[in-house]
Amino acid sequence: MENPISIHCPDSLDDAVAILSARPGARILAGGTDLLVKHRNGMLPNLTDFVDISGLRLQEIERESDSIIIGSGCTMTALAQSPLVADRFPCLAQGAIQVGAFQIRNCATIGGNIANGSPAGDTIPAMFCLDAMVRIFGPESRRTIPIAEFFTGPGKTVLRQGEIIESFALPDRRTFGVFFKLGERRAHAISKVSISVSCFESGQGRREFRIALGAVGPTVLRCRKAEELMTAAGWPPPSADLVDKASRLVMDASRPIDDIRSLKDYRKKMTGVLFIRAIDRLNARSYQLNNSGEE
Amino acid sequence: MPLLFGQIRKGVEMPKQETIRITFSLNGKLVETQVQPVLTLLEMLRRNFSLTATKEGCGKGECGACTLLFNGFPLNSCLKLAATLRPTDSVVTLEGLENDPLMGRLQKAYVDEGAVQCGFCIPGMVISSYHLLKHHPNPSSAQIKEALSGNLCRCTGYSKIEQAVVRAAREK
Ligand SMILES: Cc1cc2nc3c(=O)[nH]c(=O)nc-3n(C[C@H](O)[C@H](O)[C@H](O)COP(=O)(O)OP(=O)(O)OC[C@H]3O[C@@H](n4cnc5c(N)ncnc54)[C@H](O)[C@@H]3O)c2cc1C
Ligand code: FES
Ligand code: FES
Repeated sequence: MENPISIHCPDSLDDAVAILSARPGARILAGGTDLLVKHRNGMLPNLTDFVDISGLRLQEIERESDSIIIGSGCTMTALAQSPLVADRFPCLAQGAIQVGAFQIRNCATIGGNIANGSPAGDTIPAMFCLDAMVRIFGPESRRTIPIAEFFTGPGKTVLRQGEIIESFALPDRRTFGVFFKLGERRAHAISKVSISVSCFESGQGRREFRIALGAVGPTVLRCRKAEELMTAAGWPPPSADLVDKASRLVMDASRPIDDIRSLKDYRKKMTGVLFIRAIDRLNARSYQLNNSGEE
Repeated sequence: MPLLFGQIRKGVEMPKQETIRITFSLNGKLVETQVQPVLTLLEMLRRNFSLTATKEGCGKGECGACTLLFNGFPLNSCLKLAATLRPTDSVVTLEGLENDPLMGRLQKAYVDEGAVQCGFCIPGMVISSYHLLKHHPNPSSAQIKEALSGNLCRCTGYSKIEQAVVRAAREK
């Protein structure tokens, strides 16, 4: 019989970090929808302790000077139901509502989705588009890292043992955005390709764009060339040709592979298709009037 | 609350581990029990409390057979560790809704529509249906499909299940 696994339910960040630092085999447990499945599948051979962080009061969504702070313990349901998120960050609300099914969303947290580091994580493209900063609490100090520098590979992040994502800070501005994903079915499907397109008004007839792709690279990818083209062109986009050109830049930015869920060529093509759909959606008048997203 | 730990598996050697004492609300009553660190909420209900309506299908969050209401929301109890329960947490299983009029209506509608075949998915299905009708008394077809999308059924093909929810909503 292997060593029994222990579980800890600390009620302060300091205690949680102390346990994590003292026990190299300890893992943070939030909603458990990734971690407990891995455990069940025998993928955590070195696990010695679970550190449950649901008691750390990390579930708030609040305004703090120029930022909206989203606690890492916010569930997908809480994000999808937050009026603040719906108003400011529609692409994030749409990403959250497309995770798993209701039972999963009631427990899956955004901190877990980000820390898990899957290139197919459905809140990650939106967090790239929203210029999220990851606020980390560690044994020595706090540090803050831009989301684009947080991921180092599939399932890999800059987090060190003992560090906990406390929250995410997003610039407090009203964005227009969409998140689309392609999966095998509507519920419980890991994305084969996903895209988040988001923009905010930066002047009269001008919008600054962000475009991020999921499941077509080792990490979520930003499409900076396409962003620059769209931003420079002004809003609404002057021609279908321009959007087409941007869609080719989006495809160029993708770095998909063949795997059990999909094929490289199909994935690449679909990034362009989804991009054009996203621009159509943003351009639809009905959508601008009711920027809540029902996808 | 007497400790029922091990009652069901009498005579079976359980691996020896440190156990943790937890207190939480179960079907409206504050209860206390002793659990191993990695025992799931699902296993605890079945072993420690002999509440066996909640089923294990996949054990990995995919099928919804283990759905119950956790703090009022449907949750897969196979992905929740019992040791993380707190005194403020409330767990409601199908047994706790035995005398609930809405649950009674749903169960009758499932039977009347022929929406039950082997029955394994049904405890989870009716919990998800119950939560839907509590919050949306007259759901659209899309709302029903969305609310039940985390519950898999190998037998019925789902349309009779959808009809049963429609019927339960109609027959108030
Ligand atoms: C049936 C099913 C369907 C799913 N469908 C989808 C889907 O459609 N889209 C999608 O994106 N995902 C999906 N997932 C995956 C999963 O639900 C999400 O990734 C979820 O957001 C993970 O959050 P959690 O709170 O459950 O994380 P946990 O499982 O608790 O943790 C995940 C990882 O992050 C670490 N961690 C958690 N919180 C923190 C923190 N605050 N600081 C540092 N590290 C932390 C943990 O140690 C662990 O390594 C699905 C899972 C299941 C079981
Ligand atoms: S047993 Fe929990 S979802 Fe299948
Ligand atoms: S009735 Fe058999 S699984 Fe649903």
